[in-house]
Amino acid sequence: MLFWVIAAILTLGASLAVLLPLAGGTKGASAAGDHDLEVYRDQLSELDRDMARGLIQPGEAEEARAEIGRRILRLGSDGQASTRAPRPSRTARLVATAAVLAVPLVSWGLYGALGSPDLPSQPLAERLAKNPADSSVDELVARAEAHLAANPSDGKGWDVLAPIYLRLQRYTDAVTAYRNAIRLDGDSAVRQAGLGEAIANAAGGIVSADAQAAFEAALKLDPANAKANFYLAMGLAQEGKKAEAAAAWQKMLGQLAPDSPWRSAVQQALAETAEPPAAAGKPANGPDAQAVEAAQQMSPQDRQAMIETMVAGLDDRLKQNPRDEEGWMRLIRSYVVLGKADQARDALGRAVAVFGADSEQARKFTAFAASLGVTATE
Amino acid sequence: MVETGHFALVLAFALSLVQMLVPLVGARAGNQRLMAVGGPVAVTGFALTALSFTALATAYAGSDFSVASVWENSHSLQPLIYKITGTWGNHEGSMLLWVLILTFFGALVAVFGNNLPATLKANVLAVQGMIGAAFFLFILATSNPFIRLNPAPIEGRDLNPILQDLGLAVHPPLLYLGYVGFSICFSFSVAALIEGRIDASWARWVRPWTLVAWMFLTGGIAMGSYWAYYELGWGGFWFWDPVENASFMPWLAGTALLHSAIVMEKRSALKIWTLLLAILTFSLSLLGTFLVRSGVLTSVHAFATDPARGVFILCILTLFIGGSLTLFALRASRLTAGGLFHPISREGALVLNNLFLTTATATVLVGTLYPLALEAITGGKISVGAPFFDLTFGPLMLPLLAIVPFGPLLAWKRGDVLAASQRLMAAFALALAAMLVTGLFIDGASVFAALGVGLAVWLVAGALTDLAVKSGVGSVAPTVMLRRFAGLPRSVFGTTLAHLGLGLTLLGIVGTLSFGTEKILTMRPGETVELSGHTLRFEGLYPQKGPNFTEDRGRFLLISEGNADGEITSAKRFYPVRQTVTTESGIRTLGLSQLYLSLGDAGNDGSVVVRLWWKPLVTLIWGGGLVMMAGAAMSLADRRLRVGAPSRRRKPAAAAVSASPT
Repeated sequence: MLFWVIAAILTLGASLAVLLPLAGGTKGASAAGDHDLEVYRDQLSELDRDMARGLIQPGEAEEARAEIGRRILRLGSDGQASTRAPRPSRTARLVATAAVLAVPLVSWGLYGALGSPDLPSQPLAERLAKNPADSSVDELVARAEAHLAANPSDGKGWDVLAPIYLRLQRYTDAVTAYRNAIRLDGDSAVRQAGLGEAIANAAGGIVSADAQAAFEAALKLDPANAKANFYLAMGLAQEGKKAEAAAAWQKMLGQLAPDSPWRSAVQQALAETAEPPAAAGKPANGPDAQAVEAAQQMSPQDRQAMIETMVAGLDDRLKQNPRDEEGWMRLIRSYVVLGKADQARDALGRAVAVFGADSEQARKFTAFAASLGVTATE
Repeated sequence: MVETGHFALVLAFALSLVQMLVPLVGARAGNQRLMAVGGPVAVTGFALTALSFTALATAYAGSDFSVASVWENSHSLQPLIYKITGTWGNHEGSMLLWVLILTFFGALVAVFGNNLPATLKANVLAVQGMIGAAFFLFILATSNPFIRLNPAPIEGRDLNPILQDLGLAVHPPLLYLGYVGFSICFSFSVAALIEGRIDASWARWVRPWTLVAWMFLTGGIAMGSYWAYYELGWGGFWFWDPVENASFMPWLAGTALLHSAIVMEKRSALKIWTLLLAILTFSLSLLGTFLVRSGVLTSVHAFATDPARGVFILCILTLFIGGSLTLFALRASRLTAGGLFHPISREGALVLNNLFLTTATATVLVGTLYPLALEAITGGKISVGAPFFDLTFGPLMLPLLAIVPFGPLLAWKRGDVLAASQRLMAAFALALAAMLVTGLFIDGASVFAALGVGLAVWLVAGALTDLAVKSGVGSVAPTVMLRRFAGLPRSVFGTTLAHLGLGLTLLGIVGTLSFGTEKILTMRPGETVELSGHTLRFEGLYPQKGPNFTEDRGRFLLISEGNADGEITSAKRFYPVRQTVTTESGIRTLGLSQLYLSLGDAGNDGSVVVRLWWKPLVTLIWGGGLVMMAGAAMSLADRRLRVGAPSRRRKPAAAAVSASPT
């Protein structure tokens, strides 16, 4: 609204700049000849000065004086011929009208075609200071980054940011974040497995020695960690030890809970090892490689839509298999990241309800949500 | 704010359309009211463009990544100064700066042009309006800086690291003030052609504008040269790069224009030639804009590569150059020629100057465009570099420089070469002595070096001789001499300073090229190296972190006569956003000379490749440019004190009207 007021004022000002001179009276304008005469007089006096300084010889000065004199004379005869009275003509009136109309028409017409009047300015500082609930994923991440740049020893912050980086496919940042979280908040199977995943994805899905070390560290803390087991088997497959990989995956299938999200990933991996060439490195519980690639080529709106579809899918899965701790936490985080604070709160409520308000999981959920800035509704 | 800027830009375009048509029609029909529209519209157009530019600069300063141009050329971690200068560190923003300066000059004509004949003023503003309209349209159609992104990205792609330097704050604005300043001379020429007559006040107006434009262009080129010298880390100050040539050609033509405008102003001679030169100078400015902005060149400066833009600018180029030259061909015969003069006279000397300068411009033009033409026709890529210009441009400049001191000493209309030569005897003796001393006593001096030093001393001494002669040194008593000296017109000092500056620049170039030394070696921490009597000890490489880069800073201790004499540091910087490495050269100024070092690749064992240069007198190259600028400023100051100069003209003009019943 303010913009349109400003635009109208500017247009008015510009139109007045055209209109006022047209409406104003004609001042006593001097003929061109008067200006010339002034210059010639000045040239004469300058000639005297030059002569006094010896810049021109007296003989030549006389010649020059005569030249200037002749020009003044010529000016007199021309001047009379060129004096003409201003005559208002139809063309002039037409031109004046067209000019006054052109300013608003051209400017509003062109701006209508080119401008984005509804889009406010978005200086970065302002974007980072507004209510988190209205922020986009990128803005939230940037804000977290700014917070961590100021408090680099906030282990919890790194811990929260790391999986988000993974999801946003900023793998090198995820590696740094996981390393910092491990350094500051200590080892945990989830963190080590996440680190391994980040390293592997940063290398295009190849389970390198570094990644392998991280996964092994995760298994030392929690031998049943599905992610670490899955990726280690993947590493075997990548080394060409297909049989060992298949065996490891088979073993996983035996140990996994029937409703585990890893189940389908493992089955798919098994199927792919069976029919070469096997696709290397596939993040199991994330979008598949094709989807990731597609996402990179998408417009920001489309990408947002895709993320939202994925989150909705997760929500549906949890409605069917509600006893999935990690799933709930991922869902809450996703909603926070998407800027949907209400739905995050709702998810937290449902998660607590599934496990019972007094359960250990419920406390964990509440703490986790609080770290993301979400509090349960009473 | 961003959209307000966008709207202001569109509105400024609409006003430029009015400005190019209404005063023109008014001047043809003799309608005062229509002619009067030009002034207020030009001023308002400038105000709107300034608002638009401010809006863009604010978006840059505040990292508003919802603006596409900001997103592409800025980063939130950049220091504020580079965020702001980044406004014109890209194609879109720099074109906006271009029209900002164009409308600024147009507004100046509107405000201070009350003493101009009404029709001339109307026509000048109309031509300015045409140039403005063409460039506004170009910006809106192909290079709109206000295109928005929704949703806005959270981080930008960073400014080209080479441009993250104070040079960007100074070089482009100065250069554009120069380029665009010549547009006023162009508009005056075309206006005179449209009217079919050249008013006597024409030259009075064109000369100060030429001076202003020339002054800024000189500064812009000198600053650009120094920037390239320290930022690119090659230790060179001029590369005959097409982009450099693009700014050098208008400078050469502008220098010619400056001199022919003197003749026209003082003697009303050379009118038609001056007119043509004004057209050519601005055409070369446009050509320079085209070469840089269309991306037909691939060089350091070419950060625009979009064929649509190239074709658009080519159309503007054809329209303005072709149009004005056609107009010239049709109308030039109607213009009356002015005063007479003998071949040997001040006028004659200035004609000779013009002859040399325009020929030199032509050689640079050929050297710049030939490779492009060849590539377009045969597809073969050749590069025309220093050897070509040394063989063509050099021989043209030498005689010109040799006769420079004669010019100011010759009288108007009919001069006396013999008398001038006698007065220059002392300067000549000095130059000869300098030549002999250089040739005989400095090791390794070549004939070229001796000649060059002699020529430079000749220029400097010749410029001072002029001042001495005019204040009467040796012929009158010292008190009279002092009084005369103080009473000399400022323009005499201007001439002296400009010619002196030329001599200093030449001395710097010759000194650096002839006596400079260079070393490339691998150094480990603790090792020392000696170059032309200066000892440097490599202290080691130290990693450091800047706001948006990391760097390995190499520290070197300068040791003079066994004592530590300060540190020189040079760094290899890495800018992660653009994945670019730049070299920050280390420079230590010792007197007029500089010790210049830049880092190469580092080895695994802490060793690093170091390039060292000793550049004697190198600062004179740019110092001379500053002196030339000071000369131009001095000449400008002179104009204001005279009758007939813009600011003081109003009253006398009015008096003249009432006093002369013509």
